[in-house]
Amino acid sequence: MVDRIIFVCTVLLAAVYLWATSKIPTLALGDPLGPKAFPQMLGIGLLIAAGMLLAEIIRGARNKAATEEKSEPFRFEKHHAVILAIIAGTAAYVFAFERLGYMLSTALYLLVMTHFFNRGRMLMNVLTSVLFAVISYLVFTQVLGVNLARGIVPF
Amino acid sequence: MDTFTHILNGFVVAMEPMNLWYTFLGVLMGTIIGVLPGIGPSAGIALLIPITYGMNPTSALIMMAGIYYGAKYGGSTTAILIRTPGEAASVMTSIDGYEMAKNGRAGAALAVSAIGSFIAGTIGVIGLTLFALPLTSMALKFGPAEYFTLMLFAMTAVSTLTGDSPAKGVIATILGLMIATIGIDLQSGQARFTMGVPEFLDGVGFVVVVVGLFAMAEVLRGLEDIFRGSSAQAMKITGKLWLTKEEWKRSIGPIWRGGIIGFVIGVLPGAGGTIASIMSYTTEKRLSKHPEEFGKGAIEGVAGPESANNSDTAGALVPLLTLGIPGGGATAVLLGAFIMYGVQPGPLLFQNKPDLVWGLINSMYIGNVMLVILNLPLIGLFVRLLYIPQGILYPLIVAISAIGAYAINGSTVDLWLILGFGVIGYVFDKTGIPVAPLVLSLVLGGMMEQSFRQAMTISSGDLKIFYGSTITVVLLAMSVISVLLPFIIPMLRKLGSKGDES
Repeated sequence: MVDRIIFVCTVLLAAVYLWATSKIPTLALGDPLGPKAFPQMLGIGLLIAAGMLLAEIIRGARNKAATEEKSEPFRFEKHHAVILAIIAGTAAYVFAFERLGYMLSTALYLLVMTHFFNRGRMLMNVLTSVLFAVISYLVFTQVLGVNLARGIVPF
Repeated sequence: MDTFTHILNGFVVAMEPMNLWYTFLGVLMGTIIGVLPGIGPSAGIALLIPITYGMNPTSALIMMAGIYYGAKYGGSTTAILIRTPGEAASVMTSIDGYEMAKNGRAGAALAVSAIGSFIAGTIGVIGLTLFALPLTSMALKFGPAEYFTLMLFAMTAVSTLTGDSPAKGVIATILGLMIATIGIDLQSGQARFTMGVPEFLDGVGFVVVVVGLFAMAEVLRGLEDIFRGSSAQAMKITGKLWLTKEEWKRSIGPIWRGGIIGFVIGVLPGAGGTIASIMSYTTEKRLSKHPEEFGKGAIEGVAGPESANNSDTAGALVPLLTLGIPGGGATAVLLGAFIMYGVQPGPLLFQNKPDLVWGLINSMYIGNVMLVILNLPLIGLFVRLLYIPQGILYPLIVAISAIGAYAINGSTVDLWLILGFGVIGYVFDKTGIPVAPLVLSLVLGGMMEQSFRQAMTISSGDLKIFYGSTITVVLLAMSVISVLLPFIIPMLRKLGSKGDES
């Protein structure tokens, strides 16, 4: 089942990529191939790869029919919701990164994440989150000269 | 004679206090990265690139190489004490290593992997020293057509040898090449596939792709495991950190054989450390007088694979340094690091910057000595890392990744890309699409297109140039074989089993 979805996605992606390739304006300059030829090859290559996958799916289905094994259908379970929540939380972190600044957004992100995934150790979580955010900010900006978003923090 | 002076000079460079310090930092970080689950050598090196920007290239590259080979030492500790490989190539070690730990021989298992890694790692570096120059003299004859076919071979080998499905490997490879086409085309100045995002004009940086695919995706997997309650606990080290005479006798053969197998596999593109350690394991099982002990704590099953995956790293540096073409995911990241420092590996590097190349190679002899000290007498320190709660570790990895990515351009676009590629990496892992081929082809993509177009310009548009010389024909043939191999092997097996029946 999963492989069939990958097959459809691959074909769609190849189609979009080939379409986008055709939109690249070409100016006849220097090299005989221009900027389009290589992407065209890649688009066609991806279609061929999709064909290879289709062959594998068909062969796999034949083998499965022989052993009478049934693939389990995808079921939405709790841990999938957890993954989505982590992605949403990390997206919020990225969103806040420049707006609140590195120190605040990182401290908040770490507090929330450790609260859920390292339960029952409040003191440890709060200390790690705050200390990591402050110390890493100071080390990277002051010692290593790496630029990190300051945000609404005055230093 | 000239070469010999260069090699000796390399030792002078490697022994400079500054470079000794960076060798130490590199192997120390490598050990830590290897021990900790969640961040591997590829992501570790990629994260260091923006932070070390502006450093002396020799020192920076010595440090990054240290992370690369040092991680293999650390990976075995996790494999033995928790049964999850801290680093992908330690997967074979986790079988017999963990069984030994359960039998109260954790100390011996850790000792044999550190000693084996040291001996085999040194065998690997000696091999690298010996084979580097003959290959560079061959590589000097390479034109764009030869380079194009060489890259094609590296990619086909990686895409069909990693993972179970060759088709998915090829899909990953082409996706990487497609990502590489995003940005301004250097030959015509034409912007391609930027989707209106100005940051994409410079292309999608490989650092964010690597950090996303390797670190962020691993965070998602790790946190999912914590939620499902399936993350494992570390065993205590039991027994002395040394071998009995009997164990030593049983290990020395596997260490030598593993070292040689690992180096050879490392030089070839595609296979890499995991396959090297599997090959060593099966070899030892076949040679053993008591194969039934394998899987139940046979010391040969730790000594061989652990040695193989260490000499593999030195082997993998051979094509990277001499030809400028990596044969796998981690060396592709190293190539990216070289390029960021304005250093182009390849035959000319040995002529133009012998100090850098030989300084780097010879620092590996010293690094291996440092590693055996870190991983034997000081192993207790690193084992403590395993007691850091993973619920804290994974969120910290996200924050560290954010620092590294933001440091590149000071733009949140790179942070979104990390998250996006993290999700892609997670989905790829669940659906069986390998990520190593994508990283390799992303790093090589620009060079591949360039050499293709240069070759076509030379031949004024005639494809004949790609099968015009012996080298290109051989490389093309090897590419075709590596694509067909996964289809031919099952067929041969079928034929073989039919032959047995009749």
